[in-house]
Amino acid sequence: MEKKIVKNERTGEQYTYVKHPTGLDIFIWKMEDYSTTHALFGTKYGSINTKFKTKNDPDFITVPNGIAHYLEHKLFENEDCDVFSLYAKTGASANAYTSFDRTCYLFSCTDNVYDSLEILLSFVQDPYFTEETVRKEQGIIGQEIRMYDDNAGWRVFFNMLQGMYHNHPVKIDIAGTVESIAQINADLLYKCYYTFYNLNNMVLSIAGNVDEDKVLELCDKLLKNNEDPKLETAFEPEPDTVCRSEVTQKLEIAVPMFNIGFKAKPEKGLDAVRAEIETNFVLSLLADESSDFYKKLYDEGTINSSFSSEVFMGDGYFCSIFGGESRDPRLVRDKIIAEIERCKKEGLDEERFNIIKKSYYGALIRDLNDAEAVATTMINAGMEKISAFDVIETVADVTFEDVTKRLGKQFNTKNVTLSIIEPLDRKEGQD
Amino acid sequence: MSIIYKREDLGEGIHFTSLINKRQKLNNIFIYLLTPLSGDTASENAVIPYVLCGSSRNYPTLTDLNKKLSELYGAVIKGSVSKMGDSQSLSLMAGCINNRYTFDGEKITEEMTKMLADCLTDPNISENCFEEKDFELKKQELLDDIDAEINEKRAYAFKRANMNIFKNEPAAISVKGDREHAEKINARSAYERYKELLRTAQIEIFFVGAEYSETCRNILAEAFSKLDRNYAGDNHSDRSPVKSEICRVTEEHDVAQSKMVMAFKTDCENIVALKLMNAIFGATPISKLFMNVREKLSLCYYCSSGVNEKKGVVYVDSGVEHSNVGKAEAEILNQLDAVRNGDFSDDEMENARRAIVNSWKGVGDGARSIAEWYFNQSYMGRSDPPEKQIELLMNVSRDDVISAAESLKLDTVYVLSGKEEVR
Repeated sequence: MEKKIVKNERTGEQYTYVKHPTGLDIFIWKMEDYSTTHALFGTKYGSINTKFKTKNDPDFITVPNGIAHYLEHKLFENEDCDVFSLYAKTGASANAYTSFDRTCYLFSCTDNVYDSLEILLSFVQDPYFTEETVRKEQGIIGQEIRMYDDNAGWRVFFNMLQGMYHNHPVKIDIAGTVESIAQINADLLYKCYYTFYNLNNMVLSIAGNVDEDKVLELCDKLLKNNEDPKLETAFEPEPDTVCRSEVTQKLEIAVPMFNIGFKAKPEKGLDAVRAEIETNFVLSLLADESSDFYKKLYDEGTINSSFSSEVFMGDGYFCSIFGGESRDPRLVRDKIIAEIERCKKEGLDEERFNIIKKSYYGALIRDLNDAEAVATTMINAGMEKISAFDVIETVADVTFEDVTKRLGKQFNTKNVTLSIIEPLDRKEGQD
Repeated sequence: MSIIYKREDLGEGIHFTSLINKRQKLNNIFIYLLTPLSGDTASENAVIPYVLCGSSRNYPTLTDLNKKLSELYGAVIKGSVSKMGDSQSLSLMAGCINNRYTFDGEKITEEMTKMLADCLTDPNISENCFEEKDFELKKQELLDDIDAEINEKRAYAFKRANMNIFKNEPAAISVKGDREHAEKINARSAYERYKELLRTAQIEIFFVGAEYSETCRNILAEAFSKLDRNYAGDNHSDRSPVKSEICRVTEEHDVAQSKMVMAFKTDCENIVALKLMNAIFGATPISKLFMNVREKLSLCYYCSSGVNEKKGVVYVDSGVEHSNVGKAEAEILNQLDAVRNGDFSDDEMENARRAIVNSWKGVGDGARSIAEWYFNQSYMGRSDPPEKQIELLMNVSRDDVISAAESLKLDTVYVLSGKEEVR
């Protein structure tokens, strides 16, 4: 077992990293004087991983959309009981989520930490489903998909991704579609489970009121040996250009909502982290609440305080998104494009860069105050194969020149998709 | 738990509570202004925290304010408004990292405290009026927010249900009021309203940090000492009376999934028993509603219960296929009957108890959660730490749970209905 203490001079914080003989990456962060412990057990398997092969497969296999999320639901069921009823004995509050590139199982508790950890490690390693239990889930997941159909914030985002990406599966809803989940059966679930729920492809992260030795003792007892299957994932080739520059839909809302996405080339590992951080700096400089640009659009009523921006990235995709509500989303898009072109020509504001750096750093320190945020920071690092302090250190090291270069690289104003949700047409006589 | 609680008066109806825990890496201040909910003032009150947190005399624009906050390592000052039973709570919060994490040991907590105090007591005004242009933007946002409530169908259904559950009571009023009232407000009337709030509102201040700061306390005390007070008295809520006939309302909207909210009224005085009953019935993933209505019968995507202790209401909130609305209602009532009949195992009861203890024990780990805990306590006329409430909970018996369930009377069934099925 390989074990090391990872220390950070800047914050005085530290955690323990362990490479377990089973292949699992383990992160443990003891937080003195906390009552809560938060644990996450996750696999690098999300909705986008629909094409893959292992050393036992002759060629790449493509499976229907929605399996990662479906598996998440089904793992909560053991042969004889529901996992929640096991946690009920410890008092832990448990949950799970599936995102584009990972599935995580988690609990948060104040008592009986090791009993809860035992439940977590056991059920995730012990799949059980039959054709009947798989079929039953279709009703529940179908309801979940339909619930999101009414959610304007969700729709405006996915419509943008559908406009932006030609082939990459990030454009498909995480839960899949009613049609794709109808194709899911127990065999497919087992196939994907044994491919992706291999400890070599997984991370355990635990932060809070814990004893490292006890955690590792439990790991030794419960983790199952498995051979590294040499998993490879693949995606259809994705052009640099966007598929459609505009997508609109009507829903029952009051003020139009928009997402404006700038498509860029994705990177991997620490380069991806740098790209994300530097692009966040660019976004703040361009249009955060202290920028002149924001103030101008806000004062003239083109945007309201729901306006925000973010970087959205993962395996094979990277884009910068501006979102919010506006009576004229096309005008917002045109003004953002003009502002980007202006900044490319005239340069960004170096004084504000230094202020934003302090602010960004402060936000990362704030995350260290909370067991859930700390555990999440560690699992993110584990999935990216970087250190949990790399983000803080990168933020502290970023220079104005880095950020200026990033503006040129990450913001091609030709590769833009605008997604709009418009209000339904009002009946006559109604306000 | 190692939280040191200290509460002192800074004036008539003004309390300063410090909650000190040495492992806090942040310092947070929460200021709550409590005032009775009323249709005439709700919208005007609702816009005030947002106006105040957007500028002050020293930082007259949002850009100036935000720039300064960024320099303080991304400190935040935020306004919000929420409902507490029959009261409206306007809040201003500020937060920053502890001074010891700054690059050069800057005293940012003190600066932030002064900025927050200024936002509340020394706003950007001209001629007895909020700055007109800023105000109009905030007003437009309030109107947009009111209009946008329909975007989130679950919350929207809940709001519409409340209007029926609390008919003719202050709690029926939406936290941001309604469009009709919001359209009428202006920078001058809102400024008058603001001055009235500073005179009359109950003011609760919470400081959550690693160490007690005499400086921060004094900055706030000085700001509040300048107020010309005419205190209107402590806020409270009345239990909501049960209607003589069950109120049934269905509203049709263009939604794929129907939302149903059921409300039960209770006169149960044993609040911890009511909370335990609620946990067994529908507040956890091992509750009767989750295990049966959602998991076993697949009738709903979500179906959970909650307690409004201030108004004496237990509600069930669910998302249902349109064609299953009737079946879901019957099954929810079935599950409640099971609790009333004592048809739950000791395991179910102990599991529910553990789930609540788990969440209450963690309250002290978060700044907002601990501030809100004591804010709620003070509203209910108590000052119990979580440990005290846990102790009471440990003593709740099976009979207490059954009595709590028996006290529930179905009062309202509200359905936000999808149109007929399309598939």
